Amino acid sequence: MVGFFEQRKISPLSLIMNIGILSAFIFFLIFFYSSIISLLFENVNDLSNQGMFSTIFTFVYFLLIIGFATYVLVALKQLFFLGQSSSKHIYFNTMIVFFLLASLSVRFINTDELSFISTTFFIVATLLMLINSLRISWIAFLTKKEKITLLFLSVVITVLFIVNANNTGNDNSIFLSFSKSFNVFVSLILIYGAIYFSVLFFTTLFHIPTAEAFDRKAQEVSSLQYFSKLITQVLDFDELTETVTDITTKVSNADASWIIWKENDDFVPIANKNIGFVDSDLINKFILQKVSWDGLSETTFLKLTEFDELAKVSKLYKALAVSPLKAHGKVKGLLVAVRKNEERFNQEDKNAIATFSDYASVAIENSGLLEESIEKERLEKELDVAREIQKKILPEKNPVYDGLEISSVFIPAFEVGGDFYDFFEISKSKLGFVIADVSGKGISAAFIMAEVKGIFESLSKIIESPKEILIKANDILLHTLDKKTFVSAVYGVIDVERGQMKISRAGHCPVLLLRNDIAQSVKPSGIGLGISEVDHFKVHLEEATIDLEENDTIVLYTDGITEAKNENLEDFGEKYFTEILLENRNNIVDEISMKVIQEVTMFSHNHSQYDDITLVIFKWKPRQSEEEGRDRQKISAEGGSAYG
Amino acid sequence: MAEFSTSIVNKGDVSVINLSGYLDAHTAPTLENNFTDLIDQNKFKIVVNFNELAYISSAGLGVFMAYIENIRNNNGDIKLTNMNEKVFNIFDLLGFPLLYEIFKTEEEAVIKYNESSGVGSK
Repeated sequence: MVGFFEQRKISPLSLIMNIGILSAFIFFLIFFYSSIISLLFENVNDLSNQGMFSTIFTFVYFLLIIGFATYVLVALKQLFFLGQSSSKHIYFNTMIVFFLLASLSVRFINTDELSFISTTFFIVATLLMLINSLRISWIAFLTKKEKITLLFLSVVITVLFIVNANNTGNDNSIFLSFSKSFNVFVSLILIYGAIYFSVLFFTTLFHIPTAEAFDRKAQEVSSLQYFSKLITQVLDFDELTETVTDITTKVSNADASWIIWKENDDFVPIANKNIGFVDSDLINKFILQKVSWDGLSETTFLKLTEFDELAKVSKLYKALAVSPLKAHGKVKGLLVAVRKNEERFNQEDKNAIATFSDYASVAIENSGLLEESIEKERLEKELDVAREIQKKILPEKNPVYDGLEISSVFIPAFEVGGDFYDFFEISKSKLGFVIADVSGKGISAAFIMAEVKGIFESLSKIIESPKEILIKANDILLHTLDKKTFVSAVYGVIDVERGQMKISRAGHCPVLLLRNDIAQSVKPSGIGLGISEVDHFKVHLEEATIDLEENDTIVLYTDGITEAKNENLEDFGEKYFTEILLENRNNIVDEISMKVIQEVTMFSHNHSQYDDITLVIFKWKPRQSEEEGRDRQKISAEGGSAYG
Repeated sequence: MAEFSTSIVNKGDVSVINLSGYLDAHTAPTLENNFTDLIDQNKFKIVVNFNELAYISSAGLGVFMAYIENIRNNNGDIKLTNMNEKVFNIFDLLGFPLLYEIFKTEEEAVIKYNESSGVGSK
């Protein structure tokens, strides 16, 4: 029996109910015992049978009493240990020991002089019962209803125990004749029961006035647990809102709850708890008539009885509470709770809902922020990869050619703009170069850049003519790029032996040639790569040939320079760009590019850099000695890396 | 960046899309939707008016490329009008004038459509 009770969670009330039923049964048993016996004895005249009958009947009677006593003891033990620490074992065990001592001493001490010993044991046992009955901590955790039930139960049971104890104690003819010790033991258990339940009665009585407050506190404690639950659910908005409405019904004893959420200027019910979408949508209209979305600053109660269309709602809700869910001082949603019964929401409910909606607001806001930061982090990671690809694609250093100064600067935009340049050392005397801009941004642009690099690198090895290379490149890209994407490019070859440069342009910014204080825009016709089909592209593609003169400066750039914006969204512009180039044309190439970058940076310092900036400058210095040329190249490489 | 908006006006069987603001990678989907809607309604004679357009990025240019093939296969066209100098230069640089008909005014583009369909019907 003990094992059975220990296996499951004990409910004190059901245990007490069992004790009550059993004690009532025993009460009737004892009450009717003597009358039944006398009735039977009257009818049965055979004396020999009377002895046997009496024995069997008394045996069964004792068995029932023993069973009852055992059950009561076990049940009281369960109640005693409910909400007690195990260190209290000693109290209970000592009490049982004194029960036994008191019982046994009655059996073995027969002289009147020594009867005080058993009396002492009996008194000590009774005292221990009292002490053990005083610690009834589990009452506190019962609800008010349960406490009231318990109050009545304890009165009835106390009375039954007192009567039973009285009956068994006084009914000396049967019990005492059977076993004195047994009689004492059973009496002790019954007395313990009587004491325990009378104490229980008074304890419960004192608990009744504070029961409601305690109920609420207990609810608040459990809501605190719910709040912590909210924190763990910020990862999923839907789950979070479901939890919010679920807890709202619990903390405010509401029958249903939902959130009014603003979606594309439309107010919709979300996370409905115990209420249908249609009903909540109907009630939403009423709420929004009564309170203004942005004006609601605290939890407000509304009488649904004032709602004209209440009849359309499938359940008769009477009271309504609405609380704003705010983030950054702006109302993001409204938390609604409704009740069916007449009982309106009181101040306590208001506090509970208000507190809870504050928590919910924070959780919902965090959920949004988290989502944003995850998305942002993902984008940043992606851009990191794109920048990394871009960095690897661009040449590490400028090539070295006799009579040619080279400077290259590349400044990536945050969003990776798709700029790309490269040099191809075709032979000792021929240098191929390309500057390109892939449409679009980010990682997709970076991948296309990688593809474009591969195309030009391989084509430059087999084809020399810039025009032919671009035709081939267009052919390839037309088939690989999606319809929306294109690449603008300038491809050129400088023949240092002949002092000649050939370029072709596919939709890219023109090449600037600085010669004798004049900037010429070299802009052979050509459509961007990946836009038009082969024949059309070919027809419109031209190739320009420039016979280089000493100090000719050739500038290749991307629109990141000319379209750099200032705070008024004005462009840096081609005109200003050429002015700066002309002013600095007599400097070495690295100084020219440095100056351009300085000016662009100053111009757009109040506006974020939106596109990549790429600048490649060649200067033709055919009469330079080889050594001097190498020195300059060294500076050039360092200067280039400083910007890259 | 700044705002971008479009509006569609029907002139006979020619649909005119008016652009205003900044057309870039972020705002391009608005224009893409306009084109998809027109194609769904079998309206293939399209004029795009750039009068109010302040800026166009490479992603913005891509929108025109995405639909031109389908539209031309259906005997339609995209004609561009009222470009300011800056926007025209961007188109010009890429060689778009070799691919698209660009007119100074919207009326010229609409007349061009009507002329060609008139010729076609005869």
